[in-house]
Amino acid sequence: MQNDPRRKMVEMKGVVKFFGTLKALDNVSLDVYDGEKVVIIGPSGSGKSTLLRSVNRLEEINAGTIMVDGFEISDPKTNINKVREEVGMVFQQFNVFPHKTVLENLTLAQKVVRKRSKSDAEKIAKDLLAKVGILEKAREYPTRLSGGQQQRVAIARALAMQPKLMLFDEPTSALDPEMIGEVLDVMVKLAKEGMTMIVVTHEMGFAREVSDRVIFMDEGKILEEGSPEHFFKNPAHDRTKQFMRQIL
Amino acid sequence: MAALADEKKSQQEEARHVTIDVGDGAAIPSKKDAGLFTAWRVAFFGAIATIVYLAVSKPDPYLDIIKFVPDGILVTFEVTVLSILLALVIGLFTGLGRISKNPLINGIASLYVEVIRGIPLLVQLFYIYFALGRIVQMPPLPSAVFAMGICYGAYMGEIFRAGIQSIPMGQTEAARSLGMSNSQSMYHVILPQAFKTILPPVGNEFVALLKDSSLVSILAVADLLRRGREFAAESFTYFETYTIVALVYLIITLFLSKLISIMEERIGAE
Repeated sequence: MQNDPRRKMVEMKGVVKFFGTLKALDNVSLDVYDGEKVVIIGPSGSGKSTLLRSVNRLEEINAGTIMVDGFEISDPKTNINKVREEVGMVFQQFNVFPHKTVLENLTLAQKVVRKRSKSDAEKIAKDLLAKVGILEKAREYPTRLSGGQQQRVAIARALAMQPKLMLFDEPTSALDPEMIGEVLDVMVKLAKEGMTMIVVTHEMGFAREVSDRVIFMDEGKILEEGSPEHFFKNPAHDRTKQFMRQIL
Repeated sequence: MAALADEKKSQQEEARHVTIDVGDGAAIPSKKDAGLFTAWRVAFFGAIATIVYLAVSKPDPYLDIIKFVPDGILVTFEVTVLSILLALVIGLFTGLGRISKNPLINGIASLYVEVIRGIPLLVQLFYIYFALGRIVQMPPLPSAVFAMGICYGAYMGEIFRAGIQSIPMGQTEAARSLGMSNSQSMYHVILPQAFKTILPPVGNEFVALLKDSSLVSILAVADLLRRGREFAAESFTYFETYTIVALVYLIITLFLSKLISIMEERIGAE
């Protein structure tokens, strides 16, 4: 994968998001460069998932601008489907399609959105299933798979669209502890291949291994950002220190 | 915000377990409900045995009635099947309209449901046949199907709406995140899953519609009930004729309920 580290993949300026009267995002600005891996941490309710979900407009923002891959997605006229083709998303609850086999989970959007032929789509799908280590489950229905396997299907499904950017929304939070590793391994592999990634997670081991930058959010604001080491050794704010103590 | 997200999630999870119970068809027998299961057998085989007994012991008039009414059964099925197909099409669009964010589409769909559900089916049948008949003259059968379809379409719309809403939001989000349009995600991801939830109440509606189809006999449609009335009017055997008509309706609805429960079990087992 060829990255241009000077190119901004995501550019958020002054983003505000309300849920009713609650300010979930309070004037947030954030740039993510091509090939960069950004980890977002913060207590629950800090707005980190909302921030991530606004990047592919699963949440519509109330003020500010968001550019993704050169498109202004905060502009209602932008064809969001075109942008979403290039932005993969992985959810906490996997959200695999239970009525489709594992293989069909991976080929559906390729055929419907990318207009690939069945054989092309299946070839790409099988390569990815081999990569995430579940090729032998291709013909199974995902409900028969473990949580870790389902999440790997979900990651492969997003990758099958060959996105430029991957968003991960607490991808290991719903998993039993013994399955977290297999999902993180896939994500580490992906990071090392140069994928641009924004990851909401509390897995600081993952952050330390692959992330270029960690962002700490609290009450809808970015309170602190820096290298993973910075967060391990000497976080500046008391809130950050307190949070790091809780998750480590 | 987390509280909000949690609340959303728990609502979604709750929605998953909701069973939709609309309509007033014959109770669908399931093996878990032992009482109903036995009642079904007694009623079904009892009805058949009664008809056979009456035909053998008193062939005049019962055998003549039994020979006369089957033409009407075919018409009853014709009206029922055509009406339910029309109702399914109307119901799908109504259901989609009811969840649409477009206020105009949503308004029209909701108004349709409110108005139709507020008017008795018999009145609707008269209305479409006689009132609209002043504009376009329609033969009895199509106008009966039209009226039944429009009426049941409103109920079907509510079933589709509930079925679609029973699928967790995450499924739509996953589909849309892959770049699918709203209609693509509806067609490829949501509706195929909603189908399972929708099937039992649709089966209920089918049975209910079959019974309500007896109302079309007032529109000169020669269905089961009308054939019975014709026979009774000629032979003055009202009691005997309606006994057979009632038993035939009973056998048909019980048979259909059974068929639906078998279908449900198959789908549930998948």
